[in-house]
Amino acid sequence: MGRRVGMPVRGRMKDWTFRVENLVKVFDASARPANDGLTLEVRPGEVYGLLGPNGAGKSTLVKQVMGLLKPTSGSIRLGDYDLVADPAAARQLCCYLPQAQMPIDSFKAREAIETAGLIRGASPAEARRRTDELMSSLEIEEWADTFGVKLSGGVRRLVGFAMATVCPGPIVFLDEPTNDVDPMRRRLLWERIRVVAEEGSAVFLVTHNVLEAEKSVDRLAIINEGRLVDQGTPSSLKSEDKGCMRMLVMLVPGAPDPDEPGFVVSSTRVSHNLATVIDERDVSKAISWAQGLIASGQAEEYALGATSLEDVYIRLTGEVSAIGHDR
Amino acid sequence: MTVDTSFAVDLPAKRSGAGSWVHSYAAMLRWETRGARLLLPLIVVVQILAGAGFVLGFGLLIPDIDAEMALYLSTGAVVMSLILIGLVLTPQVIAQQKMEGSYEFLWSLPVPRSAATMASVTLAAVAAIPGVAAAMLVAVWRYDISFVVSPTVLPACLLTLLCGCLVGSAVAHGVEEPQVILLFTQLAIFFIIGFSPVSFPIDRLPPWLATLHEFLPFHHMAVVVRSSLTTGMVRVAPIDWMVLVAWTVLAAVITGLVLVRRK
Repeated sequence: MGRRVGMPVRGRMKDWTFRVENLVKVFDASARPANDGLTLEVRPGEVYGLLGPNGAGKSTLVKQVMGLLKPTSGSIRLGDYDLVADPAAARQLCCYLPQAQMPIDSFKAREAIETAGLIRGASPAEARRRTDELMSSLEIEEWADTFGVKLSGGVRRLVGFAMATVCPGPIVFLDEPTNDVDPMRRRLLWERIRVVAEEGSAVFLVTHNVLEAEKSVDRLAIINEGRLVDQGTPSSLKSEDKGCMRMLVMLVPGAPDPDEPGFVVSSTRVSHNLATVIDERDVSKAISWAQGLIASGQAEEYALGATSLEDVYIRLTGEVSAIGHDR
Repeated sequence: MTVDTSFAVDLPAKRSGAGSWVHSYAAMLRWETRGARLLLPLIVVVQILAGAGFVLGFGLLIPDIDAEMALYLSTGAVVMSLILIGLVLTPQVIAQQKMEGSYEFLWSLPVPRSAATMASVTLAAVAAIPGVAAAMLVAVWRYDISFVVSPTVLPACLLTLLCGCLVGSAVAHGVEEPQVILLFTQLAIFFIIGFSPVSFPIDRLPPWLATLHEFLPFHHMAVVVRSSLTTGMVRVAPIDWMVLVAWTVLAAVITGLVLVRRK
């Protein structure tokens, strides 16, 4: 029997960077590719975010890594392992929290996590120890003996996260891990994600929640229509907006695009929101412009704030992220 | 930012070999058992009712049933229970996983496909026991007959069950649409109960259908199981076992192929 995944030894191969090169996935030859030449790299100890609107090709990428879909061309490697050629190795090396809830209706929370540990190759004692540790750090011990069917969506999500990381492999894929999770436990979840990275795994996070990602990832890529449109650290992505402010103008639904004054650096309209980026020095001019729009009945209100990754995201994808919709 | 990789450790070796397979099988059996905990009692009750119902129902259909015929029909009920678990329940469970979205997660787990498949077959075998036992007990009670159980009963029942489960798995994994899988199970019920020589002798069928059944597994399932529970009622020939083994191997190969297929 080979060595258990997740229990590596020192001294042989040092590079276990996760590399995707020129990955193309075509489902339907007449439509645009779901993944169109993706190239990215995630290193051990790093939390890497992949951001993009629905249908951008995020889950398609992850499913190709997990051996559920076959790439049309390109390569996916983890260190020396060719994950496209060897999907069985991929499943052993990669942990996966899918976007859908885990099928654990008839599992008690503790059993679900422990069994996931056993499936990942842990011994019963190790699985139990890691389960206790995770349940305590996520503060979900009170539901240890509750059946999945009776858990709230948020707690169930946390149990799913614990199942995916109870015996983490060299890379952990988390598809929208914070969905349904309440703000307090969301913080615990992010702390735990950081611990997984500190213990040496690479964490690959798929999300459309830009604000959360901005605070929590080391590097990120923005994907739109199958292509990576930008990649870097959160601050490097925002560097273009240095010295700028964002002004969001909520237009009257159905109103046409207003004439934009020359000082607007960039603007994107998403539904009836007009997201503009303006120079700090033009703030007073921008306020008068927005007030004018309200006075003339074209807009309902406006909000002025610091630029965030959200602005970069809107500019690159033409979409408001999950959190943007909540505002 | 630069990432500190000074702590980076070696990539673990891939797990393989018999020890790893057994560990995976045990873990998946635990997963399957826990996963079926809410549904299993219901399935067992339905199996018991179906097994007993077949036996009692034939008594209503044929009022002056003699011991010989009662024995034939009761052993038929046993075979029916074993076949339907594999060809109906197994595909239905897989269709359900596809509908609720857990199917892809299950096949992303780090276990050999064969270990996961055998874990679900094991659970199906356990689920089949109450139905088989109910059919036999009710037959003994209602018609006052006795079964002559030979040592081949275990291989006969297990092969019948395994063959049915693997054929059911091959179809359910091979067909993408859950609705189509469910349609298949409906047709299977219709064909097996109505037009397969399980509860009646094969010579009652029109010749062309009888010939077809020489190549299908159902008639041979009935022969091997019936011969292991009775004496002198049917003659089992090596060809019966061979056809069943061939179907089992074929279904296992197809299941294996469709499970590693990536779209």
